[in-house]
Amino acid sequence: MKKILTALRYILIYLIFIIIALIVLYPIAFAISGAFNKGKSLASMNILPIPNNPTTENFTRLFTTTNYLSWYKNSLTIACLNSVCTTFIVLITAYVFSRFRFRLKKAALMSFLILNMFPNAIGMVAIYVVLSRLGLSDNFLGLVLVYCAGNIPYNTWLLKGYLDTIPRSIDEAARVDGSGHLSTFFRIILPNTLPMIAFLAVTSFTQPWMDFILPRFILRSDKNKTLAVGLFEMINGRSNDNFTMFAAGALLIAVPFVILFVINQKYLVKIMSTGAVKE
Amino acid sequence: MKKNLGTSAPIASAVFMGLGHILFLKQYIKGILFSALEIIVLLNSGIFAKAIHGLISLGEPKPHLPVAQRDNSTFMMLDGLIAVVFLIIFFLIYIWNIVDARKVGKKYDKTGELQTEREFLHDLGEKAFSYVALSPAFVMIAFFVIIPLVYAFLVAFTNYSAPNHIPQKNTVDWVGFETFSEMIKIKHFSQAFARTALWTVEWAFLGTVTCYFGGMFLALALLDKKIKIAGFFRTIFILPYAVPAMISLFIWNILLNGQFGPINRAFRELGIMQWLQSIGILDRDIIPWLSEPTLARIMLIVVNLWLGFPYFMLMITGIMTSMSRDIFEAATIDGASKSQQFRYITFPLLMYQTLPLLIMSFSYNMNNFGGVFFLTNGNPPDTITTQSFAGTTDTLITWMYKLTLDQRLYNKASVVAIIMFLIIAPFAMYQFSRTKSFKEGEL
Repeated sequence: MKKILTALRYILIYLIFIIIALIVLYPIAFAISGAFNKGKSLASMNILPIPNNPTTENFTRLFTTTNYLSWYKNSLTIACLNSVCTTFIVLITAYVFSRFRFRLKKAALMSFLILNMFPNAIGMVAIYVVLSRLGLSDNFLGLVLVYCAGNIPYNTWLLKGYLDTIPRSIDEAARVDGSGHLSTFFRIILPNTLPMIAFLAVTSFTQPWMDFILPRFILRSDKNKTLAVGLFEMINGRSNDNFTMFAAGALLIAVPFVILFVINQKYLVKIMSTGAVKE
Repeated sequence: MKKNLGTSAPIASAVFMGLGHILFLKQYIKGILFSALEIIVLLNSGIFAKAIHGLISLGEPKPHLPVAQRDNSTFMMLDGLIAVVFLIIFFLIYIWNIVDARKVGKKYDKTGELQTEREFLHDLGEKAFSYVALSPAFVMIAFFVIIPLVYAFLVAFTNYSAPNHIPQKNTVDWVGFETFSEMIKIKHFSQAFARTALWTVEWAFLGTVTCYFGGMFLALALLDKKIKIAGFFRTIFILPYAVPAMISLFIWNILLNGQFGPINRAFRELGIMQWLQSIGILDRDIIPWLSEPTLARIMLIVVNLWLGFPYFMLMITGIMTSMSRDIFEAATIDGASKSQQFRYITFPLLMYQTLPLLIMSFSYNMNNFGGVFFLTNGNPPDTITTQSFAGTTDTLITWMYKLTLDQRLYNKASVVAIIMFLIIAPFAMYQFSRTKSFKEGEL
């Protein structure tokens, strides 16, 4: 009797898994089939995620009738700049916080924690005014500076926590041997921090792709439009007419993201759980 | 000979920065650095005065000039704000200069020792590295995080709004609490406030709780040793986390489309729609997933669950695998059943480790713009919406976005920002107190 109950329980669990898997997969499969569907509209789609008369004409249309490539290029530029900028500044800031004693250190770390709670969208009008004043409105660099500044508080905490686990005795030994601040940093700290640096570089690279409010606010000209804003304008209010083209455009972004995530799954679990224990 | 430098040096340094260091303490380099700072500030006092005057007046309307030459109130306000920040920093350094002169003087009175120039330079070199290395981060945070927050706060007390007070065509003026009282007086605005704030909190709470428990259930079920191909399922389940959220939200928006959406079409094909019509729940053959306020709110939570459970699933998986097995083995030997183990061991341990992250997630959800904007765009609208621009599913942040970008009512948007600030502040304080008490001495 007990065996039957246990078996039933596992059957139930598998059943739940399968149902959830279907719910998870259906929207994704529907979008993929949309990308290869013949016809432009939502109404031309099958209910089941199987494309009607499979074709690649949506991709052709995407490249010929919209500025998709230019949006992609803009987003890529911003992502690369943001990745380099954020990693560099956060690395230096976290290093100093981890290894040096100075006035107001505690106060600074505390204010980072509090600042992290407020989304930069609250100050969006002001950010625009600041950038206009600096002559950086409608400029990739301006947007990247805003992202980067917003990334500093949280990531500094994250990286500082990681650096604290590298024993100080190692860099003190290097200091005794006559190594300066900078060479200690490059020879000792940097090689030991590579996994975390990779994490920072990747997260700050992925961040700008689908961010919407700031690029919408800051990059006002057509030629500087990013993917998020471009796709938004393609689909907003016209979901029925432009669906298949949107699906094609979305697919081209989602595929690299999904591959990145699935490959780094184990690594991600590790980083997230250490973050949880440390916080 | 006793000179009583503990009194004379700070007084001299109060009269002019660094004077005490130069005259009495023989710390020439430090003294010159201090006085150079004061000289720079004094030389630029005209600029500071102009900036602060601009902050107070926000410019005069000059309708006779071409638009590009009129006073730009927004820039004047920013310049004034930056000048105030600089002066505060200068004032703090001034105080530090006095305190330092007093400290060094007193030490001399007691011991007769003074720090030599060489020691000072060495000390400065050590400390300067920290400050120089930190300065890019601090300058960026000051300009792009702190000043915008303060600026947004100040805008609430002006009339900066379309159509009559947009620079450079017109100037902006300080109006005190007028914007606040106007928003309270207009009935629809105050109603929109109450509704939106309440829904924002509900949305953040339900969004966090559903994702947390959904993720926990899957994480624990997948960790069961008897489940085969757990890795396969886990890979499927993290997909919503991997696909960019904005894309998923648009896809859901399309799936839930009333007329052509595949979900409603499937319901029609299966005859469910006709049955719902026949028992009188529906009056058309459309389930208004996103166009009926309550149902739209439910769908927001459901779609948010679809998007958000993988995060907690991954995190709880990570925590569980790093937990010691001993405690569970001991419990099994003592005859604890699975459900008892969960209730008395697993759940309390998980709660203890994830509570801070739950709080973070709550504040994240409160500010989650895309989760609402891309799925419902704040729709459907109702009578309150026409005057306040807040739809029935708008949260504070999407409402603020609409007030800012679509309506250009910047002052009203800032009032909403202040309300958001007030709601978030307790959580920030919680975060603060927790870290302070738990990490004392560890920083």
